[in-house]
Amino acid sequence: MSFFITDKCIGCTLCRKLCPVGAVEGNLKEQHRINEKRCVECGVCGRVCKQKAILDQDGKPVLEVPRSEWKKPVVIKEKCSACSMCVWNCTKNALKITEPAYQGDIRVFAELSDAKRCVGCGICASVCPLHAIHMEVGEF
Amino acid sequence: MNLPMYLKINLSTKKVSKFEIEEKLFRRYIGGKTLAAKLLYDMTPAGMDPLSEDSMMIINTGPGNGTGAPSSSRFNMTFKNLMTGGIASSNCGGSFGMMLKKAGYDGIILTGKADKPSHIEILDGEVSVQNAEHLWGMDTEKVQEEFPAHYGKIVIGPAGEHLVRYAGVLSGERVAGRCGAGAVLGSKNIKAVTAYGTKQPEVYNKQKFDKHVEKWVHFLQSHPMTGTSLPKYGSAGLVTKANATSALPTHNFQSGFYEKAEEISGETLADTKLIKNMGCISCPIRCERRVKVYDKDVKGPEYETVGLFGANIDSADLDMINEINYVADIMGMDTISLGGTIAFAMELKERGIADFGVSFGEVEQIPEIVKKISYREGIYSELANGSKWMAEKYGAEDAAIHAKGLELASYEPRKSVGMGLGYATSNRGGCHLNGGYLALLESVGVLSTNPLETKGKPELTVLMQNAMEAVSASGFCLFTAYSMIPSILFRLGPSHWFTKLCGKLLIWVRPVLGIMWKFMPWILPFNSMFLLPHAEALKQITGIRMTTGKFMQLGERGYNVERLYNYREGLTANDDNLPDRLTKVPQDKNPASVVRLDKMLPKYYKVRGWKEDGSPSAWKLWQLKIHL
Repeated sequence: MSFFITDKCIGCTLCRKLCPVGAVEGNLKEQHRINEKRCVECGVCGRVCKQKAILDQDGKPVLEVPRSEWKKPVVIKEKCSACSMCVWNCTKNALKITEPAYQGDIRVFAELSDAKRCVGCGICASVCPLHAIHMEVGEF
Repeated sequence: MNLPMYLKINLSTKKVSKFEIEEKLFRRYIGGKTLAAKLLYDMTPAGMDPLSEDSMMIINTGPGNGTGAPSSSRFNMTFKNLMTGGIASSNCGGSFGMMLKKAGYDGIILTGKADKPSHIEILDGEVSVQNAEHLWGMDTEKVQEEFPAHYGKIVIGPAGEHLVRYAGVLSGERVAGRCGAGAVLGSKNIKAVTAYGTKQPEVYNKQKFDKHVEKWVHFLQSHPMTGTSLPKYGSAGLVTKANATSALPTHNFQSGFYEKAEEISGETLADTKLIKNMGCISCPIRCERRVKVYDKDVKGPEYETVGLFGANIDSADLDMINEINYVADIMGMDTISLGGTIAFAMELKERGIADFGVSFGEVEQIPEIVKKISYREGIYSELANGSKWMAEKYGAEDAAIHAKGLELASYEPRKSVGMGLGYATSNRGGCHLNGGYLALLESVGVLSTNPLETKGKPELTVLMQNAMEAVSASGFCLFTAYSMIPSILFRLGPSHWFTKLCGKLLIWVRPVLGIMWKFMPWILPFNSMFLLPHAEALKQITGIRMTTGKFMQLGERGYNVERLYNYREGLTANDDNLPDRLTKVPQDKNPASVVRLDKMLPKYYKVRGWKEDGSPSAWKLWQLKIHL
């Protein structure tokens, strides 16, 4: 069971814009709906919904969270192998692999390159095969 | 246990159906090229024309794809080989495999022919075949820009559209190059296949799998080959070693030593042209080169391209190698067959037989000629058929460097005779990887057996062919198998007595290597990080009680099914051959510098459990539980 949008929805499109996997469908000022095939239950839609119109997989309304309190990825450099699983799975293009420090430098790693783009979905952390990413609230 | 879900799309009738692979079939064939070989054998008739409406293209993944295991983005394309008439399997590290899995499928089987240029879209499990007339004619770079960046894509370029027999398929900048996959898609009017989904592939025992992956990644990163050499110099780092052992093809395989090899080496590439290294998704090795061509940051060449567009055509121009590599990629062509065919055309000119406007050492015009080949313009249409076809028209068969019709990769087998045996016996034709890549144990690795010695080479070739077959079938990159060679030997160096002793030991243990297949899988009832960590990963992903022995037998089973397909299509022991230049003319004054297939093949068949005509014996099929 994926997340669900109730009739409290006013069709503001904010959740549709932020959903990292394009799972929210609907037009402006019309009730939106969530495509179950796509939804990864990250909760981003609920965190931005002022109407509390989004129910989680247990049927409970998801509470709005101010943007400053969204968790964002922190990469543990020592663990990261720069395999790019996180970069490829981030549809918001918020992550990238660092540039080499000098000609021939092969020790690079993933980093949050554009914190403004990050919606805190946590997909990067969930796909990291080395558990080198954890989600934290903080200054980015 | 999650069984693989496949899509079957008939492009003529637009009928789309799904089917699950049966558990018994899955346990025996796992996925990738081995499962695809079995499906192709069962689902297509003998004598099928690979470019006809009836032909079949199987695009599939292995259990490892998309799980995050190291170097596990590889997907496979299996079809009837345009170059050899036998089986073809082409492997690619692009994002398509992972995205196909996330969209809910482990493989796609394409049959029929679309009535107009089309694009297949697989979105969250839903399939649609869409009009792609507006995309037809675009190069592989432009056409991929037409789709969302996060989609997994495979596309063909002009070469595939014009049925160049060695046209490849691009996914991002990675290429499924060999055997003509691009032409098969082109013949079906398919310009692109895209996939997108959001569901992570399931892993049977996630906790144990994660622990294994962590150890495996550290193991690869601490290994001198996968942790240092490949990321620093890429596969082109082999140029210096190959040249030092006279295994670098030069002047269309007339020699194995190129005096200007240093100018095109991986080290020179890294010092003068490299922007940075990159990698396929989920790969900690990161061997990909990034270089500048036409002021753009593009993928650099692999060792094969450096060798075949460098030493083999007498050119030490790295910029030109980078440019040719880029042009071949955007046109959608295999650089190995392209390089081999152009070198053959150069030799035809040198012998005064035919003039295609190409000469050894003159490379300025080659990017334009590559484009002409891809559009089959005028006389260049002949080059689009490959060197075997050209030799049948013009003669000079000894100089057409192919096996079964597929051009050889960049290893001169007269100074790496086990590699020669591999080329000759490889199921897809002159391929170093499907051939067992014995060059690694003879001429370009740290652990070297005598490269001219024929003893032990059949046993080692069978071992390596089967191991690599299994690695590939599981969805992993073959470079992860490099770590089978102990790191200590790299640290001691090739001239240390212990390394040399180990090289000799490989030949001494040949009776064991020869007989062990009779006792597989029971002889290796364990898993080890130091042998093939892939087996343990498969166990945790699928829930199958996989051991190293079962893993090796999977490879053997796949190799035998591919062989049976070839045999059905008329390829026999007579086709396990190489051109006379490599088997009859010594490379230098040493008369032993030829590939003595007459000495090695009988032993090879014996170790394989094959009959004299090169087909698997009934006993071998019974042992491997192959029922066709």
